[in-house]
Amino acid sequence: MSKEKRVIKILRYDPANDKKPHWVDYTGEYDSDSTILDVLNEIHWKIDGSLAYRRSCRSAICGSCAMKVNGQNILACETPIHKFKGKIKIEPLPGFSIIKDLVVDMDLFFEKLKKVKPYLIVDKPLPDKEFTQSPEEFEHIRESVTCILCGACTSSCPSLWGNEDYLGPAALLRAYRFIFDTRDDGANDRMDIVNDKNGIWRCHTIFNCMEACPKDIKITEYLSRLKVKIVENSI
Amino acid sequence: MYKDKKFFDLSYYKFTGSWAWILHRLSGLALIFYLSAHIWVISTISKGPEGFNRVMGVLASPLFKLLEIGLWGVILFHAFNGIRVVIVDFWKGSLNHKKLFYIMIFIAFALWVAGGYLIISHM
Repeated sequence: MSKEKRVIKILRYDPANDKKPHWVDYTGEYDSDSTILDVLNEIHWKIDGSLAYRRSCRSAICGSCAMKVNGQNILACETPIHKFKGKIKIEPLPGFSIIKDLVVDMDLFFEKLKKVKPYLIVDKPLPDKEFTQSPEEFEHIRESVTCILCGACTSSCPSLWGNEDYLGPAALLRAYRFIFDTRDDGANDRMDIVNDKNGIWRCHTIFNCMEACPKDIKITEYLSRLKVKIVENSI
Repeated sequence: MYKDKKFFDLSYYKFTGSWAWILHRLSGLALIFYLSAHIWVISTISKGPEGFNRVMGVLASPLFKLLEIGLWGVILFHAFNGIRVVIVDFWKGSLNHKKLFYIMIFIAFALWVAGGYLIISHM
């Protein structure tokens, strides 16, 4: 494995001392297949222990380490540094408030998620054993259930930068996931919530969410299907 | 906590979809500006034929012919990207939205060249 010298720029912010975030440069030698998270760990453990960032599973499943690197939202744990040429600029997720360094406030994000009732609502009597779906029925939601709620999509959305009350792609995708679940009976309720001035119609099909999604979920496509369903329901 | 107040993150990497959206917004604003100017020009007819003819004389200059060609381009982009947005929203266009963008740009460009040629040939 070849080591190479890389310049890492990190947007640092300490609420106790800084008014605004500022860039700090770190230079080090890293393996070309190190991930962004490896680099952050290296800096945190050996150079500056005060660097704050979220991490947990380092296997792209917990959704903790989403951040903006060289102008694009990614998961730090699954993105190798050889993907980026020249300086590597690491910033917290845009559109969210910064708590410290790369740690952002996700409260609003999860509040919006709760708004769309992200759980199965069943009116009919539950079956005694498993509540099954056919493979064809599951196919509608197969991709959308893989969302790990990292926030990369919602944070990449220009509609959200302009209006922080917008539900955002992650919450809307979760609404899709339950509305198109054949076992669920809460579709009308959820469609009323989503069909709001800060709801799905603020999606202007910019596709930043689809580019940012680490799970390659075709978010815009599912939001479009939801738009069609809402229109069909109201005529 | 620190909250960035800017409404648009200029440093975020721009993909095809972002460019289509940004240009759609800008061309929309340009068309609003054009329509206001157009209504003002037409309104000069209320001051009699002389005033109207004077304004029309200014608009017949080559500079305004060139601006007209530009306007034709802005209209075409806004119209064809608008069709693309409708296809994306209601006709599964999001699976091929990049290809769709380039097809629309190609049609708009071909019509722009044809229309531009007609405008120049009538100068």
